[in-house]
Amino acid sequence: MSNTIGGWRFGPTWRWLGVAAVVQTAVLWTIIAQRQALLRDGKEIVLPVVPVDPRDLFRGDYVTLGYDLTPIKAMALDGRPSFDGLSKGAIAYVTLRQSVDDSWQVRSVSPRRPDRIDDGELVMKGRVAYHFGAAGSPDESIDVRFGIERYFVPEGTGALLETKLRDKAIKALVAVGADGAAGIKGLLIDGQRHEDPPLF
Amino acid sequence: MLGYKKRLAADLSRWKSNGWLTDVGEAQIARELASNRRDFGLASALGVLASVLLAFAVMSFVAAHWADIPRGARLAILFGSMWSGYAAAGVLTGRGHRGMSDAAILFAVAVFGASIALISQMFHIEGHAPDGVALWAAGAFLSGVVLRSSAALAFAMVLVAVWGGMETVEREAVFWPFLVGWTAVSSAFVWQRWRPGLHLSALTLSAFVIALGYVLSDGHDHALVVALGLMAVVSVLAIERLEPAWHVAVEPVVGYGLVTTFFGAMALQFGENPTGVALIVMASLTLLLMVGAIAYGMSTHRSSTIWLGYLGFSIEILALYVNTIGTILGTSLFFLVAGVLVAALAALAWRLAHRTAKSEASP
Repeated sequence: MSNTIGGWRFGPTWRWLGVAAVVQTAVLWTIIAQRQALLRDGKEIVLPVVPVDPRDLFRGDYVTLGYDLTPIKAMALDGRPSFDGLSKGAIAYVTLRQSVDDSWQVRSVSPRRPDRIDDGELVMKGRVAYHFGAAGSPDESIDVRFGIERYFVPEGTGALLETKLRDKAIKALVAVGADGAAGIKGLLIDGQRHEDPPLF
Repeated sequence: MLGYKKRLAADLSRWKSNGWLTDVGEAQIARELASNRRDFGLASALGVLASVLLAFAVMSFVAAHWADIPRGARLAILFGSMWSGYAAAGVLTGRGHRGMSDAAILFAVAVFGASIALISQMFHIEGHAPDGVALWAAGAFLSGVVLRSSAALAFAMVLVAVWGGMETVEREAVFWPFLVGWTAVSSAFVWQRWRPGLHLSALTLSAFVIALGYVLSDGHDHALVVALGLMAVVSVLAIERLEPAWHVAVEPVVGYGLVTTFFGAMALQFGENPTGVALIVMASLTLLLMVGAIAYGMSTHRSSTIWLGYLGFSIEILALYVNTIGTILGTSLFFLVAGVLVAALAALAWRLAHRTAKSEASP
């Protein structure tokens, strides 16, 4: 009962072991390369960080970073849209516009990628974490996570960051790719850049 | 295996003393048994456990010292561990240690998953955790298929279940893509003719169906669970009639179908607060189903069905007792009803035993 498909005999032979190792390494390498490319080529924006929950800021060895972009209130957006199709777990494309003071404000949210992006705007892709209020109601709002909410720190070095975070002395350096993916490049602590050098 | 050997040894001596078996025949049976034995079963099992521990060691070492080790070196440790696992599998296969080779493959697959997590940590990728689990499952599936590794495939099924569970909890809706992963891994189990894997498939599918009851119709679709469970039981019995060759599938499918039905029935009776009459009707039907399972198991000599029937009957009685104290039924009335039911069961069992004895006496 040899298991073959189209003449291929499978089993832990050196050939198939090589295939498994190479494919899995390639997958991991792709994750790294994509992330490196995003951090290198993505448009860099600076976002102020707000403490999320002062009582439980550290879970394990990462800091939870909160952003004042979210929760997004439907009432606060142009045209008072409804957040149909943006239920919990759905992908959300959030269009940001840079205001005169260089800060970024949410302009619109859509379940699909907008066709047109104006100058001074960019689109960040995220996932809806919560959808509050009924569609069309005045208190309708959504909480969106962009995948930039965790900053991993070496064990025991979190206390200083926690204090700085409370003093609002920390900003996040975020790279945003053309596809809307966002990644943390590093932190801006007291105006100083802290980021890991690229791997390659 | 040991139990089987012991029983066979007793049978062999009896058969020989009855004159049914020659000395040559006995020697041949003993040789056949010796060539089939799997004395390395324990060694392989320990190997699998060791590989899991070693994978944890790699993961926690890199996680704990990640600030001290440069990122390039961290990646080298991860990739190096994974490649060593596959190389060890090759060497062990060459020496004929198939079970140990499986353990080494499992180690490599575990390190693959650890690498996904640690690369995410390295680049502060919060991402969507279930996507990481899905990627891990795909890697385990690849290794399971191309290396014909049962351990890696079983692990892939566990990961598919974890992935489906995480997505379901997050969305609070049915996560149908689970079935795609489930079908892929189950097909590989069939292709590899690995029966324990099919039990794993049945177990995860049962859990999926039971979960449907808590997700569909705002979490109140347990009637569907009961219907699907009963459908599985009825279908496999019908298939057995048409194709007797399928008889090997009957006992497990009846078992998983019964368990699924029972979970749905429990949720309907005790999770949904039905009216008194509805509860009595549903409880009676559940008890009847369990008695039916016991009767069926006895008449076809399917012991797991008998035991599931006993277990279901007992849990049902216990649940009724706990949930009805001081409510719709008085405790004494409850005992009266339960007593009558059990007496009926005893009468049924007696009649069955009587009939079996009669049919055995006149073959």
